[in-house]
Amino acid sequence: MDSILSEKHRVVRRSVRRFCERELQPIAKEIDQEARFPWEVVEKMGRLGYFGIQVPKELGGAGLDSLSYAIIIEEISRVCASLGLCVTVHNSVAVYPILAFGSEEQKAKWVPPLARGEKIGAFCLTEPNAGSDATGIESTSIKDGENYVVNANKVFVTNGGVADICLIFVQTNPGADRKEMSVVVAERGTPGFVVGDLEDLCGMRANPVSSIRLYDCRVPVKSLLGKEGQGLRIGLTALDTGRMGIAAQSAGIGQAALEEALRYARQRRQFGVPIERHQAIQFMIADMATLVDAAKLMTYRAAVLRDRGKPFSQESAMAKLFASEAASKITDMAVQIHGGYGYSKSYPVERYYRDARVTRIYEGTSEIHRMVIARGLMR
Amino acid sequence: MHIIVCIKSVIVKAPEAGMVRSHDSTELNPFDRPVLETALRIKEARGGIVTALSMGPESSISAISEARAMGVDRGVLTCDPALAGSDTLATSTALAAALKKLAPFDLVLFGTRTSDSDTGQVGPQAALLLGIPLVTQVHSIEHRDSGLYVERTADGFIEKFELSFPVALTIHPASAQPRDIDLAGIGSAFEEENTKIWNLSDLELSPDQVGDAGSPTKVLSISRAKRHKKCEFLKGDALEQADELIKQLTESGMIG
Ligand SMILES: Cc1cc2nc3c(=O)[nH]c(=O)nc-3n(C[C@H](O)[C@H](O)[C@H](O)COP(=O)(O)OP(=O)(O)OC[C@H]3O[C@@H](n4cnc5c(N)ncnc54)[C@H](O)[C@@H]3O)c2cc1C
Repeated sequence: MDSILSEKHRVVRRSVRRFCERELQPIAKEIDQEARFPWEVVEKMGRLGYFGIQVPKELGGAGLDSLSYAIIIEEISRVCASLGLCVTVHNSVAVYPILAFGSEEQKAKWVPPLARGEKIGAFCLTEPNAGSDATGIESTSIKDGENYVVNANKVFVTNGGVADICLIFVQTNPGADRKEMSVVVAERGTPGFVVGDLEDLCGMRANPVSSIRLYDCRVPVKSLLGKEGQGLRIGLTALDTGRMGIAAQSAGIGQAALEEALRYARQRRQFGVPIERHQAIQFMIADMATLVDAAKLMTYRAAVLRDRGKPFSQESAMAKLFASEAASKITDMAVQIHGGYGYSKSYPVERYYRDARVTRIYEGTSEIHRMVIARGLMR
Repeated sequence: MHIIVCIKSVIVKAPEAGMVRSHDSTELNPFDRPVLETALRIKEARGGIVTALSMGPESSISAISEARAMGVDRGVLTCDPALAGSDTLATSTALAAALKKLAPFDLVLFGTRTSDSDTGQVGPQAALLLGIPLVTQVHSIEHRDSGLYVERTADGFIEKFELSFPVALTIHPASAQPRDIDLAGIGSAFEEENTKIWNLSDLELSPDQVGDAGSPTKVLSISRAKRHKKCEFLKGDALEQADELIKQLTESGMIG
């Protein structure tokens, strides 16, 4: 696969892989089991540029391109999908919208500490009554002099337990068209800003996914991102990039599962031979490898289009849909190849299996993706 | 201060049939990483520039790219079909020629060995061909005004040398923990094209000095060594077996 990449992108992959194998591999199982956010590694990653992958160097980032971004998320997720989630969400749907829609003042204030990982970002759209239908949000933000008074109830916030800078989707004009939503940036520590309990998740357990609630929280008017009513556009623009990240994450989980399955099939003997000699196992491995490759190629295509300044929304949605469904199939086959041991925590494939499942749900379910893709085709 | 680090792109997997070096099958020699780290620390302490020099096929450029991403200022790859098949002497000849072309320099650093051939000869031979002093297996470096104090451990003794420039060192792999590559460093490394490729005529060498022709030793074949496993069954009841096992493990030095 790497022979189609440039030298720069190969160096990106090798560097990230070496770092993740040394720093994350040894703790990946433990932090999943303990549902612990590994600050010790996150701090190092912050110093190395992982929290500002595409942020220009002047603002403290690494200044890399989208293809590098996809490779980095893939490599982190190959070792620890929970941290892949943290990094992709932070970069794509928290930092990037500030870069794309923020004023110079907002960028100068928020981006540098985010890019260095000193502050963690979050994207708060989903509410108890608004999941797939984002326009159903009920959170409000009412102007009162120099401030907005924000009341919001956000659930399933990735990074929620550790986030400092949160993009909150709200209605600034309740009663008007529901699509006229807005985004305000709220900082942890502001009076009325409350972090709820962590979700006890099936997978991605090392990510502190939580609810975030704002009770009469006063946020300065200058914390509005873009213009009033621009929220849906900000959200959808962010998700175009975010979905590419989730596609990369799914490809990384798939890659890990394939590698484990190959290793196990060589070592496990039944009926007198390593099970890799049985055709049924070989066929599964062939399908897994093909799915992993296709997932990566679709992801890289979306990334390259983005780097070239071409439309990539449709390609990003297709990559996310395909790669997430592929990750579920691949991890399922990896468990199958491991037999009973695959269902035990003694082997990492059960973690991959749990982690892969949610990629079909967040940043838009598979069903919503099919609707979006079909709509794009029928325009 | 001009520091040159000689690095190699090594084969990752044991060759099954015929050695093919490609991007997927090679990596920067792990024993060269601490050397690059050492060079970068010297640069941080004294200023100057660091050049990474490698000899090998075009895919070796990836080793240089990694060095550049770590913070090395520029790279030089000596690459020519006539270099294929070079043994350690021919390799040292080519490197020495490139080093002369890169002169003036103050320090030439080598790893102690490579993970894919493990001769440890290239550093010493190149230093000899250049006619500069050499200290091998250096594990610590101290700066002094016009040179360095370095230490090496040999046969249970610690040797300390006072050196003036130019000098060549081979760096012990445990002497420095190589830094993690900063993602911003990768961007910078590729923003400005700063790696040169030199062929034989750039080095002013003739084809008979290098490659197969210039190599007094030849690798005739490579095959996987067969390891003979033997399995011994311990006799007696469980207690006797346990005693025997402890005895054997103690005798073989595994426990005790
Ligand atoms: C681990 C995790 C992390 C998350 N992180 C974030 C985050 O950081 N920020 C954030 O805002 N949200 C986040 N989410 C929320 C996530 O984006 C939503 O769960 C997702 O969008 C689906 O919404 P829902 O759960 O309300 O499901 P619903 O929308 O209630 O969907 C239920 C089912 O109905 C289907 N469905 C709904 N509408 C239609 C339709 N029109 N046609 C056909 N089928 C339909 C769905 O596909 C699904 O199968 C996260 C979720 C999880 C689990």
